[in-house]
Amino acid sequence: MNTNTKSNKTILEVKDLCKTYVVEKRQNNVLMNVNFTIEEGEMVAIMGPSGCGKSTLLYSVSGMDVPTSGSVKFAGEELTNMKADELASLRLDKMGFIFQQMYMMKNLTILDNILLPALESKKSEENKAEKTARAEALMRKLSIIDVADNDINEVSGGQLQRACICRSMMNNPKVLFADEPTGALNRASSTEVMDELVKLNSEGTTIMMVTHDARVAAKCSRVLYMLDGNIKAEYIRPQEEGLTEKDYERRLNHWLMELGW
Amino acid sequence: MFLDILKKDIQRKKTMNVILLLFTILASMFVSSGLSNVVSVLNGTDYFFDLAGVGDYVVITQNKDSGVEEILKNSENVEEYWKEEVCWATCSDMSFNGEPLHLGNTISVFQALNDQYAFFDSNNHRLEKIQPGEVFFTVGVMEETGIHIGDEVEVNYHGVSMRLKVAGSVKDALMGSEMFGNKRFLFSDEDYQKLKSEESRDYTGEIFNIRVHDIGQLKTALSSAHHVLFEGERSMFSLSYVMESIVALIVLILSLCLCIVSFVLMKFAISFTIHEEFREIGVMKAIGIKNRKIRSLYMVKYLACALTGGVIGFIAGIPFGNFLMKSVSKKMVLGNDQGFLLNVCGAVFVVLVTIGFAYFCTRDVKKLTPIDAIRSGSTGERYKKKRKVSLKRSPLPNAVRLAINDILSSPKRYVTVILSFFLFSIFVFGLVEVTDTMKSDSLTYTFGKPSDMYIEASVILDRLPYNDMEVISEKGNVILPEMLTTIEQDLQKMNIPGHASVEMQYKYWVTAGEYSFNVSCEQNAYVDTSLYRFSEGSAPQNAGEIAVTEMVADDLHVQIGDTVEIDFGTEKKECMVVAYFQSLNQLGNVILLHQDAPTDMKYAAAYNDFQVDFDDHPDAKTIEERIKMVQAYYGSDKVKDAAQFCVDCLGVVDIMDAVKYLLLVITLVVLILVTILMEHSFIHEEKSQIAMLKAIGFKDRFIVKWHTYRFLIVTFIAEILAIALTYPITKLWCDPIWSMMGCTEVDYYFNPLSVMVIYPCIILAVSILTACLTVQSTRKIKCTDARNNE
Repeated sequence: MNTNTKSNKTILEVKDLCKTYVVEKRQNNVLMNVNFTIEEGEMVAIMGPSGCGKSTLLYSVSGMDVPTSGSVKFAGEELTNMKADELASLRLDKMGFIFQQMYMMKNLTILDNILLPALESKKSEENKAEKTARAEALMRKLSIIDVADNDINEVSGGQLQRACICRSMMNNPKVLFADEPTGALNRASSTEVMDELVKLNSEGTTIMMVTHDARVAAKCSRVLYMLDGNIKAEYIRPQEEGLTEKDYERRLNHWLMELGW
Repeated sequence: MFLDILKKDIQRKKTMNVILLLFTILASMFVSSGLSNVVSVLNGTDYFFDLAGVGDYVVITQNKDSGVEEILKNSENVEEYWKEEVCWATCSDMSFNGEPLHLGNTISVFQALNDQYAFFDSNNHRLEKIQPGEVFFTVGVMEETGIHIGDEVEVNYHGVSMRLKVAGSVKDALMGSEMFGNKRFLFSDEDYQKLKSEESRDYTGEIFNIRVHDIGQLKTALSSAHHVLFEGERSMFSLSYVMESIVALIVLILSLCLCIVSFVLMKFAISFTIHEEFREIGVMKAIGIKNRKIRSLYMVKYLACALTGGVIGFIAGIPFGNFLMKSVSKKMVLGNDQGFLLNVCGAVFVVLVTIGFAYFCTRDVKKLTPIDAIRSGSTGERYKKKRKVSLKRSPLPNAVRLAINDILSSPKRYVTVILSFFLFSIFVFGLVEVTDTMKSDSLTYTFGKPSDMYIEASVILDRLPYNDMEVISEKGNVILPEMLTTIEQDLQKMNIPGHASVEMQYKYWVTAGEYSFNVSCEQNAYVDTSLYRFSEGSAPQNAGEIAVTEMVADDLHVQIGDTVEIDFGTEKKECMVVAYFQSLNQLGNVILLHQDAPTDMKYAAAYNDFQVDFDDHPDAKTIEERIKMVQAYYGSDKVKDAAQFCVDCLGVVDIMDAVKYLLLVITLVVLILVTILMEHSFIHEEKSQIAMLKAIGFKDRFIVKWHTYRFLIVTFIAEILAIALTYPITKLWCDPIWSMMGCTEVDYYFNPLSVMVIYPCIILAVSILTACLTVQSTRKIKCTDARNNE
């Protein structure tokens, strides 16, 4: 099922990444010398028990959070030296985000929510009509065109998360960061959303996602397992022919069990 | 557990709880001080007059042998009376830095303190003692002369000279108002005895305060008295404080506005905080806590907030209320006998209303379900579609579109802001319009025939060997024409073609059937009476025709076509009422006589500034140039145009200006508070949206713009509404005040620069700046907060 279009060109390079929180004068080392790279076109899942630093890692490498030390290179650019505004521009133009909670502007329609980052971005030379057409095309692709003019409280969770995916794709990001994208969805919606992400990946979008769900992670080309602030193991999806999705899930579950999951 | 939940709530929702507490404090402060001020203002002059010892009827004589005391002693109608002995003087009998005091064309009163009549200092304490070598001025005189406490003045009164230190200013109930022409100066007993020399015997007089059963009877009895300079009912003296009362009334309206705004904001804050709690309420319901229990939990919180806010607001309201009252009642003692009781009542009222609001708003607890907790406040039901500005269609920048969308989507909360800003703006603009009208020449016709230039009498008297007292006497028949000739000759020397005239005020007994009054009659014997402005009827054509104000017409029960008898002293004459006119002189109690009416300076009571009409009817610029030329010629700035003449006649423009600025400051303070509190509420509610926007790449600048535009839009709407409604609303609240003063139709002067540009821009700028500064706190919201917030 997975048709990764990995190009062997590094899009994200993380070296000795540390993140320490100080809570009531006590240091809490959430990330400790994390090292990994992601190639263009990869779909990487980060797994691990609660509190191991998965989301912190995602936010640190996407420029949303400032690491304590270490280096994060995104498409060759060092993020840790960038100013807040430069990071914001980078996130707007070159990255896409999907959150567990389907955060949207509550006073905008679904279509307007999707359109908002595209209208704010100066990256594309498209006019508003073209951007709107592209947003509608994306919605059509993800089968939510019917709810384009609905309020956000008038659609299901699955539709809302697909709208979030559309929004994240509006500026043609190089990498799509997803934090538990199916975490708040039921099984059917979860499958729908994952199918869409896989489809996007197959079309060339690099995806890095945090997930607890082995069924979701099984669709990724690589799984990084985190424990106590560091990457403890790496799982690469087998390339053998004839394997079904169930087989992939079974093998990943087996690997996770060995790690004590 | 109940208390634990409450404790956690107070700690965790600190921002919203502090906002709610602040709103309650504001409401309690405004309402408690407002209630006390409202009662004080409604008590008005009665409280002041009772404290001072003003009688039901007041008679002021110019000579000790007036016969008034005999009449009072023998009248069974008189309950009691008390008298003050005074010396009549001109303002030029007192000098400062070698220059005589010029206080308009008025006669002054020199006197010592006495037991029956009280004067008050700026703290409203009775003045008990004056030390030898000291003199006290009324507040108005201090303001008009620019003399300060500690300055030394020189008194030269009929051969007696002394240097006195100005020891302070007093509030004088009878003669303290700007509209009462005579000014009072208070001396120590020792100094006053020195002033009462044999030479000044003819200039002594008495002031009688009389408590009486039937004023009508007393008036008739007093008709046989002599040398009565002035007599009038207590209500007439009250009316002389009409401008001060207006200012106090403004405080009353301001207090009411503050109360309304406070309650509107508090309702918003309570309703807002309750709806913020949907998750907690949903969770509590999910675990089986009953509605009543949940509701009581929030009620306890609001009760604690209301009590704390009520107490703090009550304490803060006392100095705030006093500050407001003090700033508008410099010449009056405004107050009430209830002390702090009214403040307490106001604070208790706020506490009760807060609890009431809270009880009302917590009804929504019943509506919220466990699903709300699970589905972030949305049950999946479809409600009425929100009105929106579609991003795909609107050509506006994103931040503006978002701002408009927010306002259209939640109009209720923004209407609260619009209403608050509108209320204060329209009040400020109204006051600006009234003050601009007072500063313009729109009201010239209410002080006589409009002229091109006005010259104060003191300017001419300085060049001639006469004083004020001599002008208003039989000698005036000769002096006045000489003064006018002097002006015309001076104008000729300056090559200015013009004629001088002056309007005199006489006091005559006027009888219409059974009604008989001592009425002020004005006459400009040097111009055609048809040049006056009449609201109805036609100008008097001969000495047997008069025009009356509607007030006089009501008092005498006459109308156009009726005849009244005027006792001119030299003769009694039947005069027909041929027109109505408007006058702010003598608070509208005026009759206009024809230029040929048989008046005599012997009966003159006062005279206005000298008026000059240029023969060649020049344009405004030429008039201005000529006024400057005449000012230079006389070396005095007491040569003025029509607008300045009106300002001087009204005498309250400075107070109105001060109140206007005070109101503007209060408006801006309220606006800043409302903006800060509302914006903090919005930020609190939208924290997750802001974090999400930041996470997907929106810069802080965008968030600042988005939130600031919201306040720009609502303030703009409030200002446009206020500008559009300023004229009708001002007319609504101000016309009755003008009519109390004798003017039923006022042409308001609309200065587009101040009402449409300066003041709206100040309010708009402050609102934008406050919103912009407050929203800077969103810079602290991090992208990662998106995962921590609901």
